[in-house]
Amino acid sequence: MKTITAFKCTNCGHAMYPRHERCLNCNNREFEEIEPTEKGKLLTYTIVNELPWGIDERGRVIGVVEFENGLRALGLVESDEPKLGMELTTSWGVVRVIGGVKTYGLTFT
Amino acid sequence: MRPVVVSGAGMIPFERRDEDSLVDMLAAASLHAMDDARLGDRPVEAVYVGNMASGLFNHQVSVASSLVDRLNLLPAAADRVENGPASGGSAIKNGLLAIASGYYDVVLVAGGEKMREVIGPRSTDIVAAMTHPEAEYIYGVTLPAMAGMFARLYMDKYGITREHLAHVSIKNQQNGLLNPYAHIQMNITMEGILTHPQSHINNPVVADPLHLYDCCPVSDGAAAVLLTSLDVAQELKVPIVEIAGFGQATDTQTLQERSDPTDLKAVSLAAQNAFAMAGIQPEDINVAELHDAFTILEIAESEHVGFFEKGEAAKAVKNGETRIDGKLPINPSGGLKARGHPVGATGVAQVVELVWQLRGEAGERQVKDAANGFSLNFGGFGNNVLAFVLRREA
Repeated sequence: MKTITAFKCTNCGHAMYPRHERCLNCNNREFEEIEPTEKGKLLTYTIVNELPWGIDERGRVIGVVEFENGLRALGLVESDEPKLGMELTTSWGVVRVIGGVKTYGLTFT
Repeated sequence: MRPVVVSGAGMIPFERRDEDSLVDMLAAASLHAMDDARLGDRPVEAVYVGNMASGLFNHQVSVASSLVDRLNLLPAAADRVENGPASGGSAIKNGLLAIASGYYDVVLVAGGEKMREVIGPRSTDIVAAMTHPEAEYIYGVTLPAMAGMFARLYMDKYGITREHLAHVSIKNQQNGLLNPYAHIQMNITMEGILTHPQSHINNPVVADPLHLYDCCPVSDGAAAVLLTSLDVAQELKVPIVEIAGFGQATDTQTLQERSDPTDLKAVSLAAQNAFAMAGIQPEDINVAELHDAFTILEIAESEHVGFFEKGEAAKAVKNGETRIDGKLPINPSGGLKARGHPVGATGVAQVVELVWQLRGEAGERQVKDAANGFSLNFGGFGNNVLAFVLRREA
């Protein structure tokens, strides 16, 4: 499955996304590339009715998921009843169409 | 560092201003500040303009050059300062340090934004451009969405209810009714925004758990201050209100990379630095202007700044402690909620309000005997924050 590329510090093991040139924890500059795990927990979310220009919908659920490897990332939550702490499965899909071009990102079911 | 005085303060009413360009607004606010300082023909040496996104909102850039031309402040040095919603605060910081260093004696700082030139969803998109392009923006994250995710955690952790948030909103709207410069002049009630079975019609969800009346409006407006050295202030014979403290700090761009996303570290650090420079404590503050772009932020900021223990601010708001006649008045201007939030103007407008409060010129919303004021300008979603302490000469 296509997914985001995240980073794990080779010195202290801190997991990071998005990219930083120096580790947020120890300033080390070397990282191993990692990916989100298949399962994660919903850390927080919001249901957005007023979306930006170009996203023609209401009630989009956006949330932050913490994966089993400690990595955290934001994505679209495809659940009608989101709850703090619920387990979600990581997926990949179209999240926005910008200038007619489909943009892919993390989705959670 | 030598003392820096806010010798002049001015602004124009925040509202939807279809007739005015961004530079029209900046120029009007600047003249108010210059005239307030009775500057006359004395030269302004440098101009800093706080503005987030004139290129996107108004298809105009280099607005500082345009402003000095418009005001005939030539050949003053002129820069536009961009730091998201903290652009105004950053512009003041530049003026402050330029005078404190001894390089300049007279600096004009103006902040402004003309947001209503574009329709609502465009404005939402332009403001969302401050989020991380790959990790946030593509998902349709808005600033209310960031605040909604933060609010869900903060409310859950500290037992804050929608009623507490409504108390912030009602207080600030009532203060706004006393402020002729405030955008939203509306006397809202608990029934109208929360308890009536049909209150959701007045107060729909924007980014759950935040509703319309938890969010600041989209406004046009500008504010300005004339900063001078103490010597010049004494020559101008203006009331002495000094910028006694300043602090700025940053945090990770995304909320999720903060080990505890409810901890607004940059707010705490900026405030600590400002208090340390001024040599005072949070309890010495008599009036505060906080960055309530969302009601939850007024509560969270007032705790991170040190006005209340964590988890106590919501009760204090409910008990009226932060009203104009309370123990620590917060946002007597109406805050971003009622005054409005023309992004680049806000940090400057906060300082303008403090100057008026400390001089005793705040009219019906005057806080009694205020000597020390505090302002907090919150950029990004808490990733770049500025704090100022203003002090009236005893």
